[in-house]
Amino acid sequence: MTPPPASAVADSMTSFRRPRDSQANIDIMAVTKGVQWPYLLALGIAILGVIQFFATVAYQTYWGFGVAGYQAPVFWGLYIVTFVFWIGIGHAGTLISAILFLFRAKWRNAVNRGAEALTVFAVITAALFPVLHLGRLWKLYFLVPYPNQRALWVNFKSPLLWDVFAINTYMLTSIVFFYVGLIPDIAMARDRATGIKKLAYTVLAVGWQGTGTQWKAHSRTVLHLSGLATPLVLSVHSVVSWDFAMSLVPGWHATIFAPYFVAGAVFGGFAMVINVLIPVRRIFGLERYITNYHFENMSRFILLTSTICGYAYGMEYFIAWYSGVEAERTSFWLRAFGPYWFSTWCMITFNVIFPQLLWFKKLRTNLPFLFVLCFFINIGMWFERYVIIITSLSRDYITGAWGLYIVSPVELSILVGSFCWFGMWFLLFLKAFPVIAISEIKELIIHGKEHGGAH
Amino acid sequence: MPELDRRDFLKLVGVGAGAAATGCSDPVEKLVPYVVQPQSITPGISVNYASTCTECPAGCGLHVKTREGRPIKLEGNPDHPINRGKLCARGQASLGRAYHPDRHAGPMKRGASGQLEATTWDAVQAELIGKLQASKGSTVILGGPVGPTLDAVIARFTEIVGARQRIVYEPFAYEALRAGTKSALGVATLPIFDVGQADLIIDLGSDFIDTGLSPTENARQFADARDLKKHADGGTRLVSVVPRLDLTTTKGDKWLPARAGSQGDVAMALARAVLDRRGVPAGADAEAVQKFVGGTTTASAAAAADIPLADLDALVDQLLNAKRPVVLPPGVAHTASNATETAAAVMLLNAMLGAIGTIVTIPPPSDRPAPATMVEMQALVEDMKAGRVPLLLIHDSDPAYSLPGFADALTNVATVVSFSSLDDQTSSRAHLLLPDHSPMETWGDAEPRPGVRSIIQPTLRPLLDTQAIGDTFLSLGRAAGGAMPEGSFRQVLESAWSGVDWRETLGRGGVFGGTPGATLVIGQGIGDLSFASAKLDGPGSHALIAFPHSFLGDGRSASLPWMQEIPDPVTKIEWNSWIEMSFATAESLGVGFGDVVSVATSSGTVEGSVFPRGGIRDDAIAIPIGQGHTVGQFASMANDGAPGVARGINVMPVLTTATGTGGSRIWLGSNAKLSPTGKFRRIALSQWTDNQRGRGLAPQITLTGLAASGEGQGGEHGGGHGGHHDEPPHTFTPAFDARPGQPYRWGMTIDNDRCNGCSACVAACYIENNVAVVGETQAIQHREMSWLRIERYVGEGNLEGGAERRPIPDREKLGELDVRHLPLPCQHCGAAPCESVCPTLATYHTIEGINGMVYNRCAGTRYCANNCSYKVRRFNYWDYGNRNFPGMLGLMLNPDVTVRGQGVMEKCSFCVQRIEAARQPAKDQKREIRDGEVVTACQQSCPTNAITFGNLRDAASAASKASDDPKRAYHVLRMLNLRPAITYLAQVKRDEHEGSL
Amino acid sequence: MPTLVSIFDLPSDVAKTVRKLKARGFDDLTTYSPAQFTEIEEAEDPKPSPVRIFTLIGGLSGVTLGFWFQIWASLEWPIKIAGKNFAAIPPFWIVGFELTILFGGFATLFGMLIVGGLYPKRLDKHYSQRFSAEEFGVVVNCEERDVAEIEALLREHSAKEVNLVAK
Repeated sequence: MTPPPASAVADSMTSFRRPRDSQANIDIMAVTKGVQWPYLLALGIAILGVIQFFATVAYQTYWGFGVAGYQAPVFWGLYIVTFVFWIGIGHAGTLISAILFLFRAKWRNAVNRGAEALTVFAVITAALFPVLHLGRLWKLYFLVPYPNQRALWVNFKSPLLWDVFAINTYMLTSIVFFYVGLIPDIAMARDRATGIKKLAYTVLAVGWQGTGTQWKAHSRTVLHLSGLATPLVLSVHSVVSWDFAMSLVPGWHATIFAPYFVAGAVFGGFAMVINVLIPVRRIFGLERYITNYHFENMSRFILLTSTICGYAYGMEYFIAWYSGVEAERTSFWLRAFGPYWFSTWCMITFNVIFPQLLWFKKLRTNLPFLFVLCFFINIGMWFERYVIIITSLSRDYITGAWGLYIVSPVELSILVGSFCWFGMWFLLFLKAFPVIAISEIKELIIHGKEHGGAH
Repeated sequence: MPELDRRDFLKLVGVGAGAAATGCSDPVEKLVPYVVQPQSITPGISVNYASTCTECPAGCGLHVKTREGRPIKLEGNPDHPINRGKLCARGQASLGRAYHPDRHAGPMKRGASGQLEATTWDAVQAELIGKLQASKGSTVILGGPVGPTLDAVIARFTEIVGARQRIVYEPFAYEALRAGTKSALGVATLPIFDVGQADLIIDLGSDFIDTGLSPTENARQFADARDLKKHADGGTRLVSVVPRLDLTTTKGDKWLPARAGSQGDVAMALARAVLDRRGVPAGADAEAVQKFVGGTTTASAAAAADIPLADLDALVDQLLNAKRPVVLPPGVAHTASNATETAAAVMLLNAMLGAIGTIVTIPPPSDRPAPATMVEMQALVEDMKAGRVPLLLIHDSDPAYSLPGFADALTNVATVVSFSSLDDQTSSRAHLLLPDHSPMETWGDAEPRPGVRSIIQPTLRPLLDTQAIGDTFLSLGRAAGGAMPEGSFRQVLESAWSGVDWRETLGRGGVFGGTPGATLVIGQGIGDLSFASAKLDGPGSHALIAFPHSFLGDGRSASLPWMQEIPDPVTKIEWNSWIEMSFATAESLGVGFGDVVSVATSSGTVEGSVFPRGGIRDDAIAIPIGQGHTVGQFASMANDGAPGVARGINVMPVLTTATGTGGSRIWLGSNAKLSPTGKFRRIALSQWTDNQRGRGLAPQITLTGLAASGEGQGGEHGGGHGGHHDEPPHTFTPAFDARPGQPYRWGMTIDNDRCNGCSACVAACYIENNVAVVGETQAIQHREMSWLRIERYVGEGNLEGGAERRPIPDREKLGELDVRHLPLPCQHCGAAPCESVCPTLATYHTIEGINGMVYNRCAGTRYCANNCSYKVRRFNYWDYGNRNFPGMLGLMLNPDVTVRGQGVMEKCSFCVQRIEAARQPAKDQKREIRDGEVVTACQQSCPTNAITFGNLRDAASAASKASDDPKRAYHVLRMLNLRPAITYLAQVKRDEHEGSL
Repeated sequence: MPTLVSIFDLPSDVAKTVRKLKARGFDDLTTYSPAQFTEIEEAEDPKPSPVRIFTLIGGLSGVTLGFWFQIWASLEWPIKIAGKNFAAIPPFWIVGFELTILFGGFATLFGMLIVGGLYPKRLDKHYSQRFSAEEFGVVVNCEERDVAEIEALLREHSAKEVNLVAK
């Protein structure tokens, strides 16, 4: 066979004819292009919220916690409630990206990027609360085992310290996981970007070009990280739950807490994922990639975890009664019929009763319905933590010390601020990185070609 | 926001950086050593000086604890016969008078502007001399009762300046009791009751434990007389005949809820019965006695008192069968129109019962002027109104507050001169102000009763430009050209005390002899009296009971923040007035806790928040005396941001203006018409509910149960875990040793049976440990900082309630008596739940078993407080340490105790500073700390010795021995197995009456 | 030394090609793919990736450090807490576990960067953004004399394009 004609000999790639780019690239990268006015509006509101958030924290730190609504014997209030809420939100992300990955559930590919982003930002938000609820915020470093000449370390027996480690581990590991998944897409973006953006992508892409060795290392890494993240995600909310379960307060001191909290977390997490993805999909026209099929699968998870929560609620009451301890019984009786009955019934209605509607396929695939339902679920899950923390504390062993906790405006403003903080990060993410894992989508597309044969 | 200093800046950095900003403590202060060391002062070592408490007329002896020339605490003088080293809450708090923000800084004069303007002593005295000369013969000198020496000086001064009148004024003057005693026994003095000598006390409302004539003394006598180790039968019995369950009654054995003002009838009935049985006492005018006692039968009395006849008959039998019975006359709260006759009847009764001379001492009358009667005071007010009093000198008293109509009358007095040390409603109306020293800065003496002479010596160099009232009168007198005694008041005092070894007397605190009994003429004058049932003015449906507030007395203690903040022992209300009424009454009005009702009497109307109660009759309401001041940082609403606004109700203006026999003041003389106003005012209630829901927090055991063998409290109660135990609780759940072989495991035993809830320990704790007073707005949010609180439960409790958003009012029932007081400091658990949850090791277990709290290490997660099963941890919501010790109050801080900063937890430390103080000498002498060398502040102050502190490792220590009582000893919440260092001894129910358990 | 740059559409073709080339001993080749396909990885290098070593070491060092540090810190200054042992093992499991994950995770990340040669650098001469679209590339460096054979082999496995790039 003769060697190819000299004319065909090129000394650079430039001579290749430029093929049309992958449709997935175009569609999904379109999200990051340009700025839509609703986007700007949302971002603006979020940033204002973040400013008032930090202003409020500064105000509270200066004057002391008198400005918050604490009333003995309730020494934890909205801050811890909201902390647990946000930590919970994160869990769906890790579940989708790690656990479903291990189960080789391919449908996750369309939603895992969004979910992972959600995880990272939720955890970053949650991490604010244990900090800002410190009576002496400027002594935060006391909670860290740092070398000091007094040779005084920290109390490794304290659930709060476990929290410090669990949350930081969770935050860092999620970020690593998130980043590793992003690398191929960043490289893709790098190839199509110009100017400063290109520079940034180039650095972040750490020279990714999809060679066989790189893909191999990458896939192993994702596998191992999933293997690590799976027990981690189960442990984090267990540790958080032990903040309560390890104490003696009637209504807190229960062995069911760890699984109960984890199920609740996944439950609330999925609700949040749906609440975020439905608008994103709608606004940026990603219906081709995120389909009813995905939402239906997620609804199934919601149905499952909601049922587990329902069981946990029931079991809590049963054990309280079965234990025969008057303080426990009283505590739970007052949850349902005491001064905080409202939050309890919100919790039960939104978390257990409403989701049962998902037994119907019609509703599982009805996005407006899903959106509203998940909105309520988020409220319900917030109230779940409120019920657990506030009601239990307000009615414990020494009846003479009983009291009530009344939320203060300062705490509410911090609660709102935390949502803005979360929103801000997510909005910025939308413009920075592809909201769907393009390389994983391509995997599916190309497989499709294989079996579809020609193209 | 104040200007930003370094601290605040760092705090903000802390926010900004979210971390890593090094917080820092107070600004740098320089320690300047003495150039020449005063002999008596060793820096760091406290010195005690003997003195006398002037907060109430009881005249308890003091040891003023000073550090570097600064009084920091008041404790009882152990040598003093009246209080034997103990001191009530009011006495403890009176230390604050020296450092009070309300103190007048110096002499003042009302200027042209109508405002008081600072001036000099020379100027103000010169002016006063002038006025004294000008109004010779019409000057009036008005003041509270003072010590003998000062009294003599004032008397002399009165002559010299030719004052028309000198009036000694005391709101709680007990005129009726004086008069009654005179009629019955021929001597017009206040009887002294040694209730400890009696085996049966019938209390017609004297409230002798709380607000009586000598509470600290009587409380001690009563507790000792009921000590179960000494008296297997439970000792003295107490039957109270009162319409409202007061603190004394809570410690009693039976409560007859007699109609308000009916104690007189009961007394007469008892007198009749005893007279029939025992006959006329020797030397008495039989005819007069018979005439006086008349024909009151138990039946008529029972009807008047609206109590079952059976109960009254039973009471009579009890009285006649008792060996050493005594009957106590009604106190201030129950001084009705027939108070004099009632008192006479009671004293006559005591005479017939043979109590006079043994249990009741009638001291000879003193030569000092007796307090004026109400009639005299009203006459004075009339004179003032008519402008017949151009010059009025007022000292040691605040009549503008405590005497209706006086304030208005003052406007017609050309010149009002006040010697008051604190700003009050009278001195704020004065034209000339010659402020007296505080009690801590002045010389003086007191003679609470004949034979007991007690010295007041200064322990603090005057902080302000004030002058001892004695010296003021001396110099005024001399300037007026009269022959006053030579020298300064101190020299006058010393010469008055000539004949005793001055130094030695100073050291001891006075000359303490027995009180001689006066020679009595029994039942001579009594014929002049004729008894009639009490009359109540006005159309109202409810009797208005105005009772002395446990801590405010006649209102003079209202300016002391601690007295405002420490919860009233009966209702647990802080910082404000309340209107007690029965649930039925509240229901009929359609009001609940905190709803404001208006109370209208023939004399006026007041409004206040309702406190519904089981412990009061349906036909009566009760309002505490002592609140409602419009002047003062703490007495008025000033420290809650509303200066000049009255704090709560001043009930005195709405009380009847009628007077009793001999012109005595009537406190219980008005009916009240109640009407809801629709308003609601939340009042600070430190204890949400007194229902212990059967949790055995404060169990009770009966005498029979005590005698029977078997189950002890530790098993029956404390959570119903574990069975009987032979060894004392502190050994059946030993603490986990921080380091084995330690000599000490500090612990405490608290005897609930001795505790009467008087809260002296709470006050002591506040002052010893620099505990911040938070004010009403914070107290309403349950943000009190008290390290030691006394909880009050009624009965074993049940499962009712708990769901309310408003506090659950108390569960007392009329006529039933089952109140348990539970002092609750940190339990210093051997397995403390707070320790395991603290991430920073800020709270940990010391090697001596104390649950230590390291403020500097605390980051403020508040987890410990959540996990503390006893809820004894307190959080610094604000920068209390800097903000809540305004002005000079900072000077009374105990230098041995850290002042806590914003955002840290704090709690009872077992007075660790006192432990260390005891450790030093022990170390020097190469020995261990002996039992009794460490005395915590609460233990030191407890009038009934209910608290014992000591080393639990030493089985011979008092605390160990005290807790060695398998029947009564228990741990609160024992089922949690927290191994607390505090062992409680359950209260004992002495007699089982049907329906009273 | 000439280089043959070929473009493919299907991962299965790439895998076959690579296997054939290796069989013929042309080892100096690189594949580029827009997504991860196990078949290509195996064709190119059947050995398991060394990343797992990093994970293992990371995890082990994490758990060791975790327990060692907690026990050491508790014993260095023994402070009695709620009557528990100074070095109480059960509570220490939590931090021990978290550190295992943390160290394992980061070790894995670094493993990937090292093994995959991932660090900011300029891209291969023959890399094309088509490889981050939906096309695959196989780049073979070979001797002059083998060019023809290799090109044939590539085309026979349905390479869309084959280009000879001069040295």
